[in-house]
Amino acid sequence: MIAPRFSSDIDRPLLAATLLLTLVGVAFVFSATAMSSSAAEHGLYLRQLAWLVVALSAGAVVAAVPYRVYEGKTAYLLYGIGLGLLVLTLFVGHVGLGAQRWLAWGPVRIQPSELAKVATVILLANQLSGRKQDLTEPKNLIRPILTAGIPFLLVLKQPDLGTSVAFIAVLLTMLYWSGLPLLTLFFLVTPLVNVALSFFLPAWLAFLGLLAVVLYRSRIRLLPLLLVVGVNLFVGIATPQIWNHLQPYQKQRIATFLDPGADAYGAGYQIIQSKIAIGSGQVVGKGFLHGTQKGLAFLPEQHTDFIYSVVGEETGFVGSGFVALLYLLLILRGIRVAHRARNRFGGLLAVGMTSIFLYHVLVNIWMTVGLAPVTGLPLPLLSYGGSSLVASFLQVGLIQNVAMRWREY
Amino acid sequence: MRADSSVLGGWRHRERGFTLAVAAIFSLVVLRLFYLQVVQGARYRELSEGNRIRVEVLTAPRGEIRDRKGRLIADSVPSFTVTIDPFDKAYTRNPARLDSTLAMLGPILGVDVEFLSEKVGRERKQSFLPIRLMRNVAMKSVAFVSEHRDRLPGVEVESEPLRRYPWGPMASHLLGYVGEISEKELADPQYADYLTGDLIGRMGIERGQEGLLRGQDGKRFVEVNALGRKSELLGDKRPILPKRGVDLTLTIDLDVQRAAEEAFEPGARGAVVALDPTNGEVLALVSKPNYDPNEFSTGITRSRWDELSTGGNYPLFNRAIQAAYPAGSTLKPFTALAGLENGAVAPGTTFPQSCTGEFRFGSRLFGCWNKEGHGRLAMNDAIVRSCDVYFYQLGLRLGLGRLSAFMSRLRVSDRTGIDLPQERRGLFPDENWYDRHFGTGRWSRGVALNLAIGQGEVSLTPVKLAQLAAFVGNGGTLWTPHLIRDTPPRGLRAPEPPDSLRLGVPVGPRNLALVRDAMAAVVSDPTGTGGRARLDSIAVAGKTGTAQNPHGEDHALFICFAPVESPRIAVAVLVENAGHGSSAAAPIARKVLQAFFHPAPPESAGLTAVAVREP
Repeated sequence: MIAPRFSSDIDRPLLAATLLLTLVGVAFVFSATAMSSSAAEHGLYLRQLAWLVVALSAGAVVAAVPYRVYEGKTAYLLYGIGLGLLVLTLFVGHVGLGAQRWLAWGPVRIQPSELAKVATVILLANQLSGRKQDLTEPKNLIRPILTAGIPFLLVLKQPDLGTSVAFIAVLLTMLYWSGLPLLTLFFLVTPLVNVALSFFLPAWLAFLGLLAVVLYRSRIRLLPLLLVVGVNLFVGIATPQIWNHLQPYQKQRIATFLDPGADAYGAGYQIIQSKIAIGSGQVVGKGFLHGTQKGLAFLPEQHTDFIYSVVGEETGFVGSGFVALLYLLLILRGIRVAHRARNRFGGLLAVGMTSIFLYHVLVNIWMTVGLAPVTGLPLPLLSYGGSSLVASFLQVGLIQNVAMRWREY
Repeated sequence: MRADSSVLGGWRHRERGFTLAVAAIFSLVVLRLFYLQVVQGARYRELSEGNRIRVEVLTAPRGEIRDRKGRLIADSVPSFTVTIDPFDKAYTRNPARLDSTLAMLGPILGVDVEFLSEKVGRERKQSFLPIRLMRNVAMKSVAFVSEHRDRLPGVEVESEPLRRYPWGPMASHLLGYVGEISEKELADPQYADYLTGDLIGRMGIERGQEGLLRGQDGKRFVEVNALGRKSELLGDKRPILPKRGVDLTLTIDLDVQRAAEEAFEPGARGAVVALDPTNGEVLALVSKPNYDPNEFSTGITRSRWDELSTGGNYPLFNRAIQAAYPAGSTLKPFTALAGLENGAVAPGTTFPQSCTGEFRFGSRLFGCWNKEGHGRLAMNDAIVRSCDVYFYQLGLRLGLGRLSAFMSRLRVSDRTGIDLPQERRGLFPDENWYDRHFGTGRWSRGVALNLAIGQGEVSLTPVKLAQLAAFVGNGGTLWTPHLIRDTPPRGLRAPEPPDSLRLGVPVGPRNLALVRDAMAAVVSDPTGTGGRARLDSIAVAGKTGTAQNPHGEDHALFICFAPVESPRIAVAVLVENAGHGSSAAAPIARKVLQAFFHPAPPESAGLTAVAVREP
């Protein structure tokens, strides 16, 4: 199916890193659940292997079809399907960990947000490679922002803050790659920074000062200038007002939602236990299956969100460092593929898929080593979970697709 | 083709910046791993093997509660709580060990082993928190646990504030009590910031003002070594200090409260509500029988709980606000007012039928409480001597429509809105009500006869009766009764009660004065039924009532206010199954008034020492 002249251009280091990480994942899902007190968890690594078959096939298929077929109408179709599934989840979804994230179909449960991310990247690549690509023109930003904004809001509603922010991260990365002026990028980020800082007056004022200086020196046109100032003032003033009108329990919910480590006893405890697990691995680890922090119900999500802490405990600095380097390799190869591609759509496709990996790896590993709050994002390829695995292989498949056809314009 | 013709042309040049950012992110990860695993590795290895890390909750003391004169009625004292960590490594390695530990603890703490294992089984969901097995543990048990630490892995003694009510059962119903939060509440998002085993206010002020009184628990991470010594886990999370709850000052006057409570015979059931008619402040709120809220602070056994909640006289039931009784003759002043306001009668009007001790309506005979009859009376005497026959005829003349319309202007069927949870509404039925419950047209016009004298389907809570008594006294204002005096945050005292608590009902001042004078005569006139509420120095206005009770002896009622001209206190008294209001309820009201107007000096009142409750 794949002509030899294409397959010779498969990115071999990327392929190797992907497969290696997947095998490490199955092994540590086994390790994390082998000693579990719940018998239902013992067979999870077998289910993960079954999902791997599905994921490999899906990855091979999306790699084989020339990626240009995803351009144009197909991109909108896929995006529409992705949004449809997200909306469906809000109505008939299953509640897991306090949020509606799952769609069940017989014994199979899928997490549509994982697939929606892939579809959103495809559409963004399509829009940013189209004719209206002059990003110095602010109105050309509207469509990409809407494209990422809608799934962002739908996933936020579930509520799944970690995954929803992925859409924003991917959008910003792809805009950056498309050559969006850094100044515009800065202005796009300001309202978000504003919300975060508006509760702390000195920081907020300092930030407004910085914004004013940048605005003064930027010589942007009047309308965008008013827009930036208006949005920032509105957000900065409205946020504390809205906050003050909330019921105490609503505030509590939002605080836990934004930063579970801040107040929930459990999340802070998880981080400490994760750090103890990783740190106690020392240089070479306690040996595969010999971790002692598992099974103590310290980390209930050890085979999913906290799998990296098992890796750290059992294989030490050597092993967890190696896994981190495999992710680094995967991401750098993704960037290389994107850079090498002659076609703008292809390049954006590859960089978008790579940015999904980057965001997840960054947030998850930083969480397990105590650098970021607990958000509940899986570690791609390693964490147990079918939807995440399939989505990861779709992403790798698409990157390989671009790699094989880099010569095409 | 089109790619490089882009205006920007430079979209490929972003590769370097992106690569650098990625490299920075991963460098940070590797540096962090190096720090955790190589630099701090030995320490974390030690933590993973020997010591336990756990969250220690620093329980915030609840806010104190004081009466209007600053006397303490609820505070917190330090106490010991014995906890267990069921995820101690001794138990995760050998689950059976947990049972033997609990078996050993049971006799030490003086509780059933089953009680302990049931508690552990229920609460072991949150692995990071130890389970509070027992609060307020005696010093002897604390010493035993500390000495046998090696045989009791994961068992700790922690210090926690204990809710204390220095006056014991006094004011129990208005205060409420605290108890462990239930599973059902924990599942409710409203209680998202509570953890299993946390205390929460139940009933009364403790429940109603939970948000203010509770404060905010702190926490810290501690490392417990094999000897049971704790040390703060440095370099991780900073401890969060507990924030004490807000202190509250109530409108209650303990002197009045105490007089009201002591006025009841031992074993009697009933309620007293005393209000300040000028602003709706609650001076006393009593329900009998009462209970000792201290019993709940330490955790209560199931059998004792059953005894209190259902056994015999339902001591947990707050009769002052949760029970509605037929108002009996205490409603007559308001029926009279309805007659005057509607122009159905003038003050001097007499009815065709003079009182012979009974009144015939159709084929039915309605009796007067005085079998000998009152003769022909006008309004003032009818109220003073509480003549039923006069009010039967007034009820008939008014008709159900006008009577119920007037009662709804007085909000008789509504809650008073007192700032206590679980207030029940009263009832003064109207035509719609009878249509709904008896079927349209299937009830007799004669219901108005009974309603006019406060019998039949009419029912009022004692707090509502007190509000109505105050209404007559203050010249036509329905105040929302309230117990919270200072609106927190502390220091800012509201000089005037807010208008939202005031509801003026437009009634003719002359009509109201007529009723008020009649009520004064009820107490002062030799023929009046309320003579036993009379005070030497101060003029009292009141009305007795006797509510027929199909289940047993009649309930005795009395409402009053004093001094008549500008009242400073209004009281409603109810005594269940005690017979006549004049003999059973009026004397209680008198004691309340006496305590209010002539408070005993503090020394002799015995209200200075907490000695009552010392062990």
